[in-house]
Amino acid sequence: MRKTWTILTLHLKKFFKSPGAIVLMFVMPALFSYIFGGMTVKSQETKPLVNVVVGQGEFSTEVYKLLKKNNQYNWKKATLQQAKNNVFEQDAIAAIVIPDDLGQRITEQKPLFDVVIQRKTEQYYALNPYIQGAAGLILRSYHTAALSEPAAFPKLLEAVTVNKGIEIEKQMIQKEQNDKADINLMFVGFAIMFMMFGLSGAASTILDERIGGTWGRLMISPATRIQVILGYILSYFLVGWIQLGVLMMAMSLMFDIGWGNLAYLIPFASLVILMVVGFGLMIAGLVKTKQQASAISAVLIVSTCMLGGLYWPIEIMPDFMQTIALGVPQSWAMGGFKEIVSGSLRMVTIWKDAGALIGFSLVFFFLGLRGIKFE
Amino acid sequence: MTKNGEVMNVNMLTVQDLRKSFGQFEAVKGVSFSVEKGESFGLLGPNGAGKSTTINMITGLYPPTAGTIQVKDIDVIKNAKQAQKWIGVVPQEIALYQEMSARENLKFWGRMYNLSGKALEKSIDEVLEIIGLTDRSKDKVETFSGGMKRRVNIGAAILHRPDMLIMDEPTVGIDPQSRNHILETVKRLNSEGMTIIYTSHYMEEVEYLCERIGIIDHGELIASGTLKELRETIGDRSRINLTLDSNATDTGKITAALEGLFLEKDLQLQDYLLTAFHKEPQSVLSEIIQRVTKTGARVSSVDIVEPNLESIFLHLTGRSLRD
Repeated sequence: MRKTWTILTLHLKKFFKSPGAIVLMFVMPALFSYIFGGMTVKSQETKPLVNVVVGQGEFSTEVYKLLKKNNQYNWKKATLQQAKNNVFEQDAIAAIVIPDDLGQRITEQKPLFDVVIQRKTEQYYALNPYIQGAAGLILRSYHTAALSEPAAFPKLLEAVTVNKGIEIEKQMIQKEQNDKADINLMFVGFAIMFMMFGLSGAASTILDERIGGTWGRLMISPATRIQVILGYILSYFLVGWIQLGVLMMAMSLMFDIGWGNLAYLIPFASLVILMVVGFGLMIAGLVKTKQQASAISAVLIVSTCMLGGLYWPIEIMPDFMQTIALGVPQSWAMGGFKEIVSGSLRMVTIWKDAGALIGFSLVFFFLGLRGIKFE
Repeated sequence: MTKNGEVMNVNMLTVQDLRKSFGQFEAVKGVSFSVEKGESFGLLGPNGAGKSTTINMITGLYPPTAGTIQVKDIDVIKNAKQAQKWIGVVPQEIALYQEMSARENLKFWGRMYNLSGKALEKSIDEVLEIIGLTDRSKDKVETFSGGMKRRVNIGAAILHRPDMLIMDEPTVGIDPQSRNHILETVKRLNSEGMTIIYTSHYMEEVEYLCERIGIIDHGELIASGTLKELRETIGDRSRINLTLDSNATDTGKITAALEGLFLEKDLQLQDYLLTAFHKEPQSVLSEIIQRVTKTGARVSSVDIVEPNLESIFLHLTGRSLRD
């Protein structure tokens, strides 16, 4: 074990002494995440503004809460005058006025809300169905309550607001909700891609070492093959974890985002890193020179990362592409991360993703270890 | 002899009928030799002769196709890791981590040979002293000259004080000063009881360092013995080199003209260079020149070389070591 540890520490030292590796493993993913993450976070912060003029009526506050359930818009309370000004200045796409006499309007079958707009923009057309849906929900709640006990309406409306929103069916089944899961996944995607580049490059140093003679010298030392290869694999694994850990912490500090339950995240991320190490080892085992390794890994990594949903959500791809994506490990990695980071934690999905990653890792390690020449 | 009168096996290395094939190509064809404890044995041969393959089999890197190798009493083929503890190997390449310092490299290789703690530090200090790099120990290997790198390469092989040191062309491409330092180091290690197996292109190094020499060519050990024994294979004769001019195209005519002066096997003519072996070269020199001139060729230079390893090699293989 001491020899394995010695090899591991040597390669860690070597890795952190290499400016190229540092740039590839830390600077590049951090930069990509900062630029694209910053853009995404900013786009979240600059959601279209909708002013809400909340009346004094007993249901107004509950209705405001109900409207706010849609997080695609930035809902802000305002006075009628402020709201009109904002709409006039085109700072807000619309102003929704919740009247004081909401109950009376329902019974008189008048429109529930007054909506102030400057003109019917695309954003208004996108907002309108949501407002209609919210109004419909309020009406149905009112009529349901009226059938049993009219006084039950406020409670029913509160219950609807707290427990169920509009168009958020998916979030209803989540145990914990993380609104920034998509941004996190983008960071994870970049981290996996650069980790694949970094670790496949590191693993192919075995080829350099064979040419340089250090590999042969290790083979004729009293260290066994298992001790030697374990030292290499563990060092790459540790480098992978250091990279992911540093990036996760950096992204948390920069964008204030969480990573879900660590009890799930740590073992799953370990599996992903193991798969990436196996991939690097496979490349090192299949090629004869470092140049070949660079060329083949560049093509394989970029294409499989595209297919595996590292650059964009896999759901936006055509069905047949999604089926093909099952053949690349990144799609399983991203699937598992999505479950963990979003807080859904559907165990069946996580186990399936983990199983697939173990399968890929076994194949990669088998091919890699079979191809690496120990003589 | 033991107390019981049994003969002790003093051989550090015994190689029997060693063979190695790479596909259809047989690189080593039944090489056998042994090296005694404390002895220095030189393995001479041109590029591609099978020296490195033989060395790689002895160190346990290549499994032989056939044959046996014993280091001390350990079967290298069956138990390479056990044998490797007793062997130090200086590979032909600079097998070091260039981006690490000399000390860091030595520490790493020391640990690979089961050294640790104070014993390792002590050994590193001693080795740095031996290779003369104490003051540069903290510098990265990549900043060293070729000679200094070669010295660290040797240092990494002797950290664990092996019983046998195998050196595969350890002085390739270095300056004379570093070469001298390395040769002195090897001589010193040998005088302290370390068995040395030394392969080289440089005859003078082998002559200087080795008590016994094996000559390997085309995968076969064609001669082995002390320098004196090898000299006897050419009858302790000097080598006469005559460089002929471009008229010397009819080699048959020239060799026929020299009939009676030399045995056929002692005469070679290739690329306008006539080589002949004779115990008293001065006595036959004028006769040779006369006979050659009569054939129409002219002698442009004459060189007489005292019997040495180069002559022996040329005599045995028909070609120069550096061909």
